[in-house]
Amino acid sequence: MAHISILTSFAETASTQKADLFTALGINWKLLILQAVAFLILVLLLGKYVYPIIIASIDKRQEQLDAGAKASEAAQKQASEAEQRIAAQLKQARVEADAIVATAHKEAGDMVAAAEARAASKAEHIVAEAKAGIESDIVAARTALRQETKQLVADATEKIIGSKLDARADNSLIEKALASEPKGNA
Amino acid sequence: MLSPLTSFAAETPHISLAPDTFFNIGPIPITNSMLLGVLGYALVIALFAYMARAAKTRSRNRFAVATLWLFEGLLNTIEQVTNNRKAARALAPLSITLFFFIVVNYWTGILPFVGPVTYNGLPLFRGLAADLNVTFALAIISMVTVQIYAIRTHGVFGNAKRYLRNPLRDPAGAFEGILELIAEFSRLVALSMRLFGNVFAGEVLLVMVGFLTNYFAVVALPFFMVFELFIGTIQAYVFFMLTIVFISLGTAQHGSDDDHAADKQLPTSHTPPDKRARPAAASD
Repeated sequence: MAHISILTSFAETASTQKADLFTALGINWKLLILQAVAFLILVLLLGKYVYPIIIASIDKRQEQLDAGAKASEAAQKQASEAEQRIAAQLKQARVEADAIVATAHKEAGDMVAAAEARAASKAEHIVAEAKAGIESDIVAARTALRQETKQLVADATEKIIGSKLDARADNSLIEKALASEPKGNA
Repeated sequence: MLSPLTSFAAETPHISLAPDTFFNIGPIPITNSMLLGVLGYALVIALFAYMARAAKTRSRNRFAVATLWLFEGLLNTIEQVTNNRKAARALAPLSITLFFFIVVNYWTGILPFVGPVTYNGLPLFRGLAADLNVTFALAIISMVTVQIYAIRTHGVFGNAKRYLRNPLRDPAGAFEGILELIAEFSRLVALSMRLFGNVFAGEVLLVMVGFLTNYFAVVALPFFMVFELFIGTIQAYVFFMLTIVFISLGTAQHGSDDDHAADKQLPTSHTPPDKRARPAAASD
């Protein structure tokens, strides 16, 4: 009986000490349950009425961002393709331009060569015509000079001998005299 | 003889581990932490209502943008830890509410009228998070949620096998199970005590700084208050993070039977195998 009494008193002491610890820490099971229930109600209310709105908004914004990112990616791809197309077109245009320039150079060269040939031919023609003109002028001048010389010689002879020979004799004498002169002096 | 000592003691700041009871409503004692807790709850509800309105109206207000950015950051953190978008959305109401609830109640405990305003010589207000009943309640809710998710993943017996194994067939596993069981309780105690200890220490720090600096408290206290705001945010994040890590650990496959099996994640998991990863072990 005494043993039982000791055990009960020990249990009572332990229980009191335990209760004292919880009391000292301020733990009150009623308050603890009340706080847990209050917080759970808060979570349930927010989870039912507030979180769906906020999360839907975040998801919607995320979808918009994803759509924007996809559109951006597609635009980037299109831009890249367009750049490639432009590069190809530029390359082709450069090749064509080079061909055109080469053709133009060739044609210009041909035209210059043809013009030069024409100019040379025309120059030669002009020179030939000029030479012919000069030759004709020289011949005419010589003929005129010969006639004038004949006249001068006749006139001089008439003045020296004092009589006039007939025209036929004059001409014959003068011709003989001129013929005896060296050709370069004519 | 004792008179100077008692008068000195009467002038010392009032520091008590337990919240002070002012009156009772039926069997429920109403404490100073509950009085300030009403403000805390009201602020949390107002904050979430504001966030919902801002999200609905796409408000560009800086505060709205900041709170929604924080909300989204926390949601992304849950998603990264659980590796599961759907599970992250299921866990969000509890874990994100925990974060905001702790931050708001930690910060309300720093308000200047908490402590100096007294009734019958006792502080009329006390931070709700400086009440062990609250931190214990939050920790119990977290750990019960861990067990609910673990049971949904492994089944009742599968989950029990994590703690109770046949010592004749697998002595090491049986010992590990006991350690795991102890770890669950230690996590519960650690979660609640860490938060309570930080809040209570912060409040004591503010009271003592105010008491020691006397008239210069106006200059000295703001620095410590800002520091406490920072600590409050950190503690809320730690509580939030540990809750989701414990849930993630509870839903991960363990044990020799499953060594060659692919890691199984949360019940709603549709995660591709390459993205499945065992979450980092909690340092608790």
